Amino acid sequence: RSRRGRRKARWERGGKMVARTAGHCGPRGGVMAAPMKRAAGWGRWFCTAAAPRPWRLFGAMCLLRLPRITQPLEKEEEEMAALMEQIELEKSHYSDHEVRKLEEEEQLRRRKESAYDDDDEAPGKTVIMAQDLEDKWEQKLLGFEAAPRITDADKNNNRTSLNRKLDSNLMLLVKQKIGNQELWLLPQVEWQPGETLRSTAERAMATFLGDHIQAKILGNAPYGIYKYKFPRAIRTEDNVGAKVFFFKAFLQSSDLSQAELKEDYLWVTKDELGDYLKSEYLKKVNRFLLDL
Amino acid sequence: MSVALPKVLCLKKGTLLKQVFALGRAATPRESCLCAAGDALVSCHRHYRSRPTHGIGRFKYLLPKEAPKRRKDKVQMKEINVGTEYEYGDVNIQMTSYDMCLVEHFAQYVHKLCNRFSVRVNESYAMPTKTNEVVFLEERGSKMQLDAVLTTHQRVVQISGLSSTFAPILLEIIQSNQPEGVHLLVKEHTEADFKRRLKSRPELEELLAQMN
Repeated sequence: RSRRGRRKARWERGGKMVARTAGHCGPRGGVMAAPMKRAAGWGRWFCTAAAPRPWRLFGAMCLLRLPRITQPLEKEEEEMAALMEQIELEKSHYSDHEVRKLEEEEQLRRRKESAYDDDDEAPGKTVIMAQDLEDKWEQKLLGFEAAPRITDADKNNNRTSLNRKLDSNLMLLVKQKIGNQELWLLPQVEWQPGETLRSTAERAMATFLGDHIQAKILGNAPYGIYKYKFPRAIRTEDNVGAKVFFFKAFLQSSDLSQAELKEDYLWVTKDELGDYLKSEYLKKVNRFLLDL
Repeated sequence: MSVALPKVLCLKKGTLLKQVFALGRAATPRESCLCAAGDALVSCHRHYRSRPTHGIGRFKYLLPKEAPKRRKDKVQMKEINVGTEYEYGDVNIQMTSYDMCLVEHFAQYVHKLCNRFSVRVNESYAMPTKTNEVVFLEERGSKMQLDAVLTTHQRVVQISGLSSTFAPILLEIIQSNQPEGVHLLVKEHTEADFKRRLKSRPELEELLAQMN
C-alpha cells in the first residue's frame, strides 16, 4: 500500500482570504471569523495592514494505527459467506489436482475390479498419488499454529502498548497543558506564520513522538475543526479563542522503539475516547473518525 | 359486441370492409381468425416492403457517424494533473492476491463504491495471472521438491476525476475495507502501465531488428 500524495488542497491557494505572508489556513468548511470576510473586500494579498486575527490556530494530529487483523464476522455475514462459498464451489470447474485425484481413484477402482491384471506399472516405481499429497498437506496444516488474536496487552488492558485491539483503529492521545489544566488531547501545537497547517500537524507529531515516525498523511486538507473561546478571564480583544484543525495520519510501521515519548500517552480506540476527551471536543473528533 | 367483432376481423390483407350484421354469420369470421392465430405467415400487419410501414423502426441513420475502428492500439488519454481544481488524472487502484475470488469480489466492491460516490471509472480490467512455483529445498542435499504452485491475480480499477479533497476519504474507506490477503496499490496511470497490458510480439521485433 503506497500513495504518493502531492496535492495542495483548494484552500491553500489562499484565494479570498486575507493571509499573513504565506500562512494559508482556511478550513475546508470555510469557517472564518466574520471580520476577516469583510476585510477580504480590500484585496487578495493584503498582508501587513490586516487586523490581527483574534483566533489562535493550532494543528493537531490524529495518528491512527490501522487494524492488523479483520474483525470477527457477524452471524448474518458468516451465513452469507458460507452460502457464497458453496455457490462458488458448485459453479466452479475442477482444478488440476482434483482431476488427477479423480483419475487415480478411477484407476484404483478398475484395478480392484479387474484383479491386478495390468503389469504396466512396475512395482519398483513409486507413484505419488494425489491422495498422498493431500495427506502430507493435512499434516503440515496441523503443525501450523496461528498467533493469538487477543494479546497480552488486551488481557492486562495496558493502554500504552500498540499491541492491543488488533482488529480496530488505535489513536494516539497525549496529556497536554492548556491554560492551567492538564487535559487529554490529540497532540497539537500552535501554528506559526509561514508554515502550512499540515506541517504544523507534522511538527506536533514530531514533538511528541520524535522525528523517526513513519506516518503517512493522505491529503493536505484538514479533517475537522474544533473551535473554542477562552474563558472570560483570559479573553482579550486580540485573543478571543482558539481553533484546532485536525489532520489524520496512518502509522506505517508499528515499530515505535525509536520514538521518544516524553509525556503521558495512550493508544485508544474510538469507543474508549469518551473516557478521556471532553464532550464538545469528542463530538468534533468523532465526526471524522471512520470506524468500520 | 359480436357485431363489432366481425368488422375488426375483416381488416386483413387489404380486403374491403365487409359488414356482417347477422349474428349467425359470426361463426365464419371467427373461424378464419382462429386459423390466422395458428399460422405465422398470416398475421395482421406485416411491415413488408410494399407496405407504407416498411422501414418503421430504423434509427441507425439518425445516429452520428462513427469513425471506422482501426486495428492499431488506442492512444491513451491523459488528463492534466495540476489543474485549478486540483483533480487527479487517471488513477489506478491495483489489487493483488493469491485468492482469485477474494480479489475479484474486492474489485467489484471498489468499482461499486466509486459508482456510488460518482467517481468516474474509466475501466476495470485484469492483468494476466502470474504463476509461481514454490520449491522446497531439502536441508541436506541438493534435491528440490516441488512444494506448491501459487497463482497471483491482479485486478485494476482505473478512475479519473478524483478531487483532492475527496481522495483521502476514499483511500481511507478502501483501506479499512481491505480484506486479508489482498495487497492494495494506488498509483497514477502511466504509459508503462498501459504498455504492460499489451503482449509483446517477438517475431515482429526480430524482423524489425533485422530490417534496421
